[in-house]
Amino acid sequence: MAEDLVLDTAIRDWVLIPLSVVMVLIGILRYFVSKLMLSSQVPDPKIVKEGQVIVRARNLRAAANFIPPKSFRSRRVYFSNEENGLLFVPKGQAQNAQAQMFSDPNMAMDMMKKNLSMIIPQTLTFAWVNFFFSGFVAAKIPFPLTQRFRSMLQNGIDLSTVDVSYVSSRSWYFLNLFGLRGLFSLILGEENATDDTQRMMQMSGFGFDPSKSLGAEKDGLDILQHEWALPKFEHRAEAVLKKLIR
Amino acid sequence: MAGHSDSSSSEKKSSEAMNDLPIFSAENMQNNMKVIYYSRTFMSIIGGVIAGILGFTSLMGFVFYFLVMAITSFGLIAKAKFSVHSYFDSWNRIILDGFMGGLMSFVLFWTFAYDIVHIF
Repeated sequence: MAEDLVLDTAIRDWVLIPLSVVMVLIGILRYFVSKLMLSSQVPDPKIVKEGQVIVRARNLRAAANFIPPKSFRSRRVYFSNEENGLLFVPKGQAQNAQAQMFSDPNMAMDMMKKNLSMIIPQTLTFAWVNFFFSGFVAAKIPFPLTQRFRSMLQNGIDLSTVDVSYVSSRSWYFLNLFGLRGLFSLILGEENATDDTQRMMQMSGFGFDPSKSLGAEKDGLDILQHEWALPKFEHRAEAVLKKLIR
Repeated sequence: MAGHSDSSSSEKKSSEAMNDLPIFSAENMQNNMKVIYYSRTFMSIIGGVIAGILGFTSLMGFVFYFLVMAITSFGLIAKAKFSVHSYFDSWNRIILDGFMGGLMSFVLFWTFAYDIVHIF
């Protein structure tokens, strides 16, 4: 590097480490709070029934090749029959389920709570970082970046000749935000509420689940070609048994 | 052939080698995926700290990251006794999975260690 700034040890002691420690602790706190706030909502029996039908149809699709053709076809007719097939839902009714889910106050409250518990700590920490830790160089990232990143990374620093590698504490905050996800998954085991993208995907998928996926399952089942995969299972059983005897 | 179970390792056989048809046990597959993810995350954190302490910069650091990932992949393959297809459904999983997530953790710990050791 051309100029190698030497930074105050106090920055390391009072900025980098506390910020990381605070973010880890907030993550752990959020995990426990989300565990406590898991309100037990009584699931609507109709929705549960539809969910189970979907699971059953999916299993049928996955294991279709292991049952004889005739039984597969009879099961398929059971599911996608026009009159009383389980997957066949008239259009009007499908929309209704979705609308009902969103207007249901309980469910809306739940989603709001989950959303808030994600957003509030992030916002608060960001504001705290901005208030206390702005206006000086906090860290040096070990790889060079182009000039375009300067405005993003060097927010409080008003010198334009400083290398882009010297970043402000805001970018240290963002770096922590993304990098600690892996650490959380190691410390907290599975189910931790710190991965934003996963939560958002899950949240957007939940509301539309019953109405659209019924139609999707039905289509998938209709398309499926049945290939009888165990035609020679008698021969194979014979081969396995022979191997065992030997 | 069926009674061969590896209780000391944490990877489970997820497919029996039928003659033509691979059958996958979804639960075991998921477990194996988790093992890969944990291994990669852990190795990328350790690799980040090492890279920072040794003072790698820019390109060398990323080359080091690829090296660490390659070592992790090799270790995983060796643990699966080189018969990848009986534990995973494709090569891509064991080699490429968790790459990007590991990258972020690597960069974080690399920056951290580098700053602590070299700048301050």
